[in-house]
Amino acid sequence: MPNLKELKNRISSVKSTRKITSAMKMVAASKLRRAQDLAESSRVYADSLSFILSSLAGNTKNSSDLPEILTGRENSKISLLIINSSDRGLCGGFNSNLFRNAKNWIGEQQEKGKSVKIITVGKKASSFYRKTDLNVIANFDDLNSNDKQLQVSEEIKNKIMELFENNEIDEVSILFNKFVSVIAQEPTYQSLIPLSNEEADEEVTDTSNAVFEFEPDKNELLEYLVPRNFLTQIYRSVLESSASEHAARMTSMDNATRNAGDMIDGLTLTYNRTRQAFITKELIEIISGAEAV
Amino acid sequence: MINLKVVSPQKVIFEKEVEMAVLPGAEGDFAAMPNHSPFISSLRPGQMVTMSANKVDESFFVSGGLVMLKEKVCEVLVDQIESLSNVNISNYQQSKTFQELEGNETALGTFEQVVNNPPYK
Repeated sequence: MPNLKELKNRISSVKSTRKITSAMKMVAASKLRRAQDLAESSRVYADSLSFILSSLAGNTKNSSDLPEILTGRENSKISLLIINSSDRGLCGGFNSNLFRNAKNWIGEQQEKGKSVKIITVGKKASSFYRKTDLNVIANFDDLNSNDKQLQVSEEIKNKIMELFENNEIDEVSILFNKFVSVIAQEPTYQSLIPLSNEEADEEVTDTSNAVFEFEPDKNELLEYLVPRNFLTQIYRSVLESSASEHAARMTSMDNATRNAGDMIDGLTLTYNRTRQAFITKELIEIISGAEAV
Repeated sequence: MINLKVVSPQKVIFEKEVEMAVLPGAEGDFAAMPNHSPFISSLRPGQMVTMSANKVDESFFVSGGLVMLKEKVCEVLVDQIESLSNVNISNYQQSKTFQELEGNETALGTFEQVVNNPPYK
């Protein structure tokens, strides 16, 4: 028969766990709203910028006129992957999904004969990839604590520009959890070098009737636009990832709170049954003792 | 009237109908008015104003960016923008703009110039 004191202790410890998880859920919910607003309002800039870039690139007839950093190098050998994880845990499958996905991607690249370098964002990714034998060249931590997202995006951008110019990388992709809805986040790749054409293609047909004049000339404009576009795309992925993180944490903490509730119910039931059994046992002892006299 | 839309990397700062907007283009100031030919330009740090009836309505400082001009839309992608209507010269150094511009010497120099002696009054 379980000990009453033990049961009582367990119930109170599960109760305090439930308090913590439900508080974390509330915190995540309020942070989620902020992160989601930020991610959505930053979309306007990113969309306009990629529109300008694609109309500029679409306007140049011969793609060999475009700089390498837009079109990518032929025979690319080294891919760089930027992995956007979180700084903190307790957010369900947020990070592990990402790492599993990255592992497959890295495998595919290696089959194609490319070597892979990694930049990690967030403490979870840096501690995970430290234990692997992959080539991690930089990591960036602590993004969300004091609104450093833009600043860190700038640092990442500078890093990849430098690496590309020194021929240390040929391709750049970025992996992040895309915010689909509060209950669904999807690991997503976006190619930075070469510039991904998915959106660009439809927009170019859109601009073909409006031919823009450019000032200063196209090359100078591209020189300004290309790094700016990297910055915006990285910034956007960081914001999406932070919105996804809070959403994932909110759902998993909600589940944890519910599980704790179920556990408390079960334990309380056992506690009451045990208590009753003790009382009955004592009564039987008293009665049989009285009868013996 | 032309629709002037000012956007920073974080958000849409404002969007309104104006008669004319004067922007500091990379190769010289230009005015955005309805039916301007389609035009894309980068911006240098400087003063941006909205005007009606040849008078300045509102005055801003922009630290650089891009502008895309279409028939009736003028979209300005700015790095930073600060309204000049209530900048107090004595305390602007403590303002947010100052701190954010710290890394950018040319923009900061222009900011002081524009505050002390705006080209459009």
